[in-house]
Amino acid sequence: MTAAKGFFTDTSLCIGCKACEVACKQWNQLPADGLHFTGNSYDNTGHLGASTWRHVAFVEQTLPEALGSIEPQGAGNGSSFGMRWLMESDVCKHCQRAGCLEACPTGAIVRTEFDSVYVQPDVCNGCGYCVVACPFGVIDRRDDDGRAWKCTLCYDRLSDGMTPACAKHCPTESIQFGDVEELRIRAERRLEELQARGVRGAQLYGQDARNQPGTGGLNAFFLLLDRPEVYNLPPDPVVPTAKGRESWTFAGLAAAGMFFTAMAGALLARNRSVR
Amino acid sequence: MTAPPNPVPFPGPAELERPTDGREVDPSLGLLQGEGAAQRVRTPEPHPGHLAPTHVEADARTPTYYGLPVLQQPVWIRTIPVYLFVGGMAGAASSLGAASLVAGGPTLERLENRCRALGLAGDLAGSLLLIADLGRPERFLNMLRVFRPTSPMSMGSWILALSGAANTAGFLFGSRRGPLGALGRVGIAAGGGLGALLAGYTGVLLANTAIPLWQAARRELPVLSVGSGMASAGAVLELFSDSGASRKVTHWYGSVGKVVAIGAMLVMQRSAPRAPRVTEPLRTGATGLLWRAGLVLTAAGLVASGLGNKSRARERLAAGLTLAGALATRLAVFHAGKRSARDPRATFEGQRAGMGAAELRRPPDPKPAVFKLPVMR
Repeated sequence: MTAAKGFFTDTSLCIGCKACEVACKQWNQLPADGLHFTGNSYDNTGHLGASTWRHVAFVEQTLPEALGSIEPQGAGNGSSFGMRWLMESDVCKHCQRAGCLEACPTGAIVRTEFDSVYVQPDVCNGCGYCVVACPFGVIDRRDDDGRAWKCTLCYDRLSDGMTPACAKHCPTESIQFGDVEELRIRAERRLEELQARGVRGAQLYGQDARNQPGTGGLNAFFLLLDRPEVYNLPPDPVVPTAKGRESWTFAGLAAAGMFFTAMAGALLARNRSVR
Repeated sequence: MTAPPNPVPFPGPAELERPTDGREVDPSLGLLQGEGAAQRVRTPEPHPGHLAPTHVEADARTPTYYGLPVLQQPVWIRTIPVYLFVGGMAGAASSLGAASLVAGGPTLERLENRCRALGLAGDLAGSLLLIADLGRPERFLNMLRVFRPTSPMSMGSWILALSGAANTAGFLFGSRRGPLGALGRVGIAAGGGLGALLAGYTGVLLANTAIPLWQAARRELPVLSVGSGMASAGAVLELFSDSGASRKVTHWYGSVGKVVAIGAMLVMQRSAPRAPRVTEPLRTGATGLLWRAGLVLTAAGLVASGLGNKSRARERLAAGLTLAGALATRLAVFHAGKRSARDPRATFEGQRAGMGAAELRRPPDPKPAVFKLPVMR
């Protein structure tokens, strides 16, 4: 196995150009999602899905709302019209403890030599269990051919020593691709830099198991400028399997109870008939 | 820097007549042949001709992203809640059949036969309902490609497959003599154990997901599943009972099931006291109505079947109420889960109230899960 590869998406650098969305669609030959107008700032994509593996979120905030936490020094003097615009390019997180992978009953979802989580399209039978097992709502089932699809971390490009299409096309290096170990150091440094410049509210999201114990850390992690909910990210995600054991215990107890009830009923009937 | 080689002069007749200028892009590069190509999108234009703003008022303290869902909605179709109902009934019937064989003696032989038939029929119908839901039904055998303890879907597939095999053996050979009969009786006994798991695992299947309601109810769902299965199996078998002994057994079995189911439902309604948003689909809207219908019908079934000697008509009424209650409960759980997935606040408020990774006694092992068993090909 080579070193773990991943993304560090620094939202403080994102300008919302959507080049990543386009590059991803182009390289992976994904269809357009239609021309709908949502009215949600510049985001007409909505959410990640089977045909959308990169999604740029746009958040408009009025300053009183933003001020408490985040505004850099000197801003809010009229030049920003009392508004702030946050953008974030969302993607599959390639979790260490991946809900989809652990839920997959066919073994179609595997961990690759790049430590990414990959769906083998020739094995997936479209049971849909990964869809409900993902705490981030990333993986989705295709309507037409019934198989689950998501970001592959450009497995084909990585195999040829290339950078994933989205990171390659990002004009501001908001999406940085590389060894997760190195990206983590870069992210910590960037966070310190932002904090030194007075950007309050800046935080890393999921860079390691300490930051996000529920997933064991993400191979595609983020630097956010506000709380995760603002970007439609869950604040404390957890791999469902971590709670499954408790559920199995109760299933076992209930099953045993059912069996004893059946036995008691049968014995009762026999004793009556013997009498 | 040297100057580039002589630029091509304005093309003369000779150049124009050449078939190519050497700069054409290979047309095969434009062919869409990748894994994602040729995908069709279901609703390219959800509101044709209209703007469809989904904008919601921003709330600075508990923000959401335009009220859009954070999770994907379950893609399961209507056969799944029906399977939950049928599978629970089949599992409970198989268990009662095995208990009748082991402990019931000759008085319960006819009941045991009916249990066998109901168990096997449920296993077969359940398998078909599950296969119908697959995106690629022709690949259903891939379910038995791996044995994956972390996946209730994998465990359930094995349980259902083995239960089907055991119940088939029991149904075909259970009443015979000789070695085949012994095999049949082993099948019935094994089917009983597997049936108990079959009735319980469907609760784990729903609980082991990111859906806030189902995850919060992870203790109650398997118990509800088992109770509901016992109630429906008891109702059907009581309806076809032909002796006092078998009527007593099935009545006892079904009544315990109904009490357990009602108890689990009452506890489940309160499974998220710190984040009421998580259990909201059980209280409001169509799913809330369905949930209360399940509760009331099950309770009505319990009352109607519980009082003293019964006429045939009241027996039928009680069975009908119980079955309707069980089906309504399964539908309510299923659709309430879908609603819970659509509601971003259920996820956010639940996790902010400590129902994410924070409530785990120990954080999960941060290393990726490793599966040592070989893959069957």
